[in-house]
Amino acid sequence: MNASVVQTHPLIQIRRNRTLPVPGTVLVRIGQKVTTNDVVAETEMPSRFHYVDVMRSFGLSTPAQAEQLINRKVGDQVDKNDILAETGGMFSRIIRTPRAGTILSIRNGQMLVETEKYKLSINAGFNGKVVELIKDHGAVVETNGVLIQGMWGNGRTGFGPLQIDEHQLDVELETASLGIQNKGTVVCAGFCSRAELIDAAASLPVAGLIFGSINPDLIQLAQKQAFPILVIEGYGKTLINDYARRLLVTNAGHEITVNAVKWNRWTGERPELIISLPAEADAYREIVELRVGQLTRVNTSPYAGQLAMVDSLKDGLTTLPNRIKTNAVGLKFLNNEKAAIPLHNFELIDLDNRYIGTSK
Amino acid sequence: MMTQSFTDTSSVLGIEIGTQNTRAVMFDIVEGTYHFLASGVAPSTQKAPFFDIGEGILAAITKLQLVIGRTLMDHDGNLIIPTQRNGEGVDKLFLTVSGGPEVKITTFGLLNEVTLESANRLAQTVYGSVKDSFGINDKRSVQDQMAALLAAQPDIILFSGGTDRGASRSVVRIAQMIALVLSTLPQKNRPEILYCGNHTVAKTVVEILERQAKVSVAENIRPTLEDEDLQNSSEELSKMVLNVWSRQIEGLSRIAPLCSEPPSLSSQNYQRMMRFLGKLYDPNKAVLGIDIGSAYTTFSTSNSKKCTLSILPYGMGDGFENALNRIKIDDIEKWLVESVPRDELKSILWQKTLTPGSVPIAEKGLVIDQAATRGLLEYTLKEVKRQSLLVGSTFEPIFISGSTITHAPVPQQILLTILDSIQPTGVTPLIIDKHGLLPLLGAIARQNALLPVQVMETSAFINLATVINVESKAPDGTSIVNARITYNSGSYMDLEVKQGTIATLPLGSGEVGTVTLNLSRRTMIEGLITPSEPFKVHGGICGVVIDARGRPLALSKDENSRREKYKRWLFMLGA
Repeated sequence: MNASVVQTHPLIQIRRNRTLPVPGTVLVRIGQKVTTNDVVAETEMPSRFHYVDVMRSFGLSTPAQAEQLINRKVGDQVDKNDILAETGGMFSRIIRTPRAGTILSIRNGQMLVETEKYKLSINAGFNGKVVELIKDHGAVVETNGVLIQGMWGNGRTGFGPLQIDEHQLDVELETASLGIQNKGTVVCAGFCSRAELIDAAASLPVAGLIFGSINPDLIQLAQKQAFPILVIEGYGKTLINDYARRLLVTNAGHEITVNAVKWNRWTGERPELIISLPAEADAYREIVELRVGQLTRVNTSPYAGQLAMVDSLKDGLTTLPNRIKTNAVGLKFLNNEKAAIPLHNFELIDLDNRYIGTSK
Repeated sequence: MMTQSFTDTSSVLGIEIGTQNTRAVMFDIVEGTYHFLASGVAPSTQKAPFFDIGEGILAAITKLQLVIGRTLMDHDGNLIIPTQRNGEGVDKLFLTVSGGPEVKITTFGLLNEVTLESANRLAQTVYGSVKDSFGINDKRSVQDQMAALLAAQPDIILFSGGTDRGASRSVVRIAQMIALVLSTLPQKNRPEILYCGNHTVAKTVVEILERQAKVSVAENIRPTLEDEDLQNSSEELSKMVLNVWSRQIEGLSRIAPLCSEPPSLSSQNYQRMMRFLGKLYDPNKAVLGIDIGSAYTTFSTSNSKKCTLSILPYGMGDGFENALNRIKIDDIEKWLVESVPRDELKSILWQKTLTPGSVPIAEKGLVIDQAATRGLLEYTLKEVKRQSLLVGSTFEPIFISGSTITHAPVPQQILLTILDSIQPTGVTPLIIDKHGLLPLLGAIARQNALLPVQVMETSAFINLATVINVESKAPDGTSIVNARITYNSGSYMDLEVKQGTIATLPLGSGEVGTVTLNLSRRTMIEGLITPSEPFKVHGGICGVVIDARGRPLALSKDENSRREKYKRWLFMLGA
């Protein structure tokens, strides 16, 4: 029986595809060292158009007639008021472009002029090295270090020195943790339930926020922030699990990348924290077979955020305390409480991958 | 390639790949007729970290093998087709899919209230979401519409323009606009287009568009202003969605050659079965099917003349975030059977969006799950009613499926969840499709019409109850019905039902009884012209239920009395 894994490692090899959704220019080469904000690939996307229906404007009956009167071709650069098409003759009628741009398309007697475009770029996302190029789209960036995956992110990415106050990890984010000394740092707290604390973090601003959990009422506010907010356990008042907490405390002061993307179960992209470390490491496993003795983190109430060991694997369906019958595993919590937990309610923390240094 | 005809075959394996679960279902001939034997369920594996449906199928078949005690796969994990002399293997394989990445659709039409509305309804017959809609009344400039089309990044464009012999120049202009925008996109990012508009310009539209993208043409979904016909185009659209998924879901094209029919969308097959069932029951009513999936909730209604299908992007797992963004927390909280602090309720509900396959562990979690299911059903039903997507208003029977419903430990909880949220009127048998058989039966029906018919007559489906809804203006507590159920043995049982209550007459699953009702003044049962005449009813695990709580259900504003009432209703039903 396989179980899903929440990657939580003190030292692991981390490889991430950093690619554009459309073809563009790759700006890095293999072996190149990159930092979090280095652009790996970029392209330009049209965002505004000027549309001209030459056939209708000139009252013509066929697209071919219209296209004869168009004196531009696809790819031409045009300035404001440049002529796009004209009927000719003594009383020539003229169509001009109202804005500068590029002729994108000419079809069926119609023209499309790109008048505004925006740059779409993808950055490295963390400090690392380019190990592979993905033609016209981007590259694979690799680093070794701490990896802690979370449950929710506000869609932003950022980095900064990791600011740890151990007391703050046990309680709600406090205004004392949002002083001027925290400007530009990544601040960690047990949980956050008040909007004014997010506002205070934004006014500094901080480089990022890491919480055990967040009040769901703050989702929209969090999504509006320019800095990343990453939640390790989910919603409510659950503190960061002990294992992730220990990793954060051990690495206080290091530069941490907060990749607070939304969890996409189709691509596998997930909110995560990365701290690059100057050490060798092995790759992690995506799929792990369930075994007795493995460490797990439960994701749902009444055990959300609690660590437990796999105590027994159960054949067939198990009856839960609420009498639902489902596939479950016997877990033993750190306080020795035992409970049957459904397969989808927990994730494994793959301790077998906890290599320090290269293992051959 | 297999060359057997269905008459040579007996065993049939159906596989349904859902967003969360993959189900393997076995049918075989027992004593001369097809029966459902068993099902095996395993987590689906098309998502990360597996990225291939194979693992989930393998696990589901492995579980099925254990239940039926029969080998279906060889030592290498390959399916044995056809059945061998030693009994190993299976004769036919059918595969349906309902769990794939979001398919983004944009719709084009002429008038917002006519063809564009029809195009949006057509989009709702597949597992997808409409990202933007464009009509000739669109207030955005052409430039802004073009930018919006690019931003939407559709996988499929639905183009429904004009009634037959109606406007044609506007249709051509829209086609030209679409072609112009698509010409700016890289070839592999261009969506497929389904044209289902004015047939007189179909050839011109195809000529304009086919240089930019793959174009399919289906029958006009709005041949006249009054008529809407989605069936043909819905089938074409289903194929397009499956094409999109075949490129995105690893393993589908690998398994397809083993199947007796090409893999198909579950929704398409679900509707085929509903269409068939609609012809079997009372022509004055309609059959209603509801499937509450992880990502989508599907509604289908059918009678002898018409069949509708509507798939809404709200579910109890992957679609729960969409649901919570639409459903007010009050509309979930009002259904709680026990008190849960509001902050905790919100946190537990939102946590479910992060753990879409999770199952409630404790009683409180179950209570919240059932309240959320009521909220979801109530909201989605309101949506399909608002869009006039139901055939009729009284249903016989209602089929319901989805693990949230079927994993409820007590059948009375399932019953009340359905009754509270759907609030059916008249006389309605409720049937649970516990194993999610309807889509698979619909897929098999394409080759073998006999199997679904015979399986429907077996106990593969669970008769939950026959519900008789009595409506009266009498005050609560007044006796409004005296009911008698007469069993086949000749014995009978009488029951007095008071306004505001719900009561049950025992009649087991598979049993048939006769009900006689004596209604008080100003009391009626919708669809029953002469209620005093005895009528036959089928039993169920909750018996025959007389629901005299009124329509719509009047819920007390006081939390405590409301919860007391819920508990009393459960108690009255024997929970």
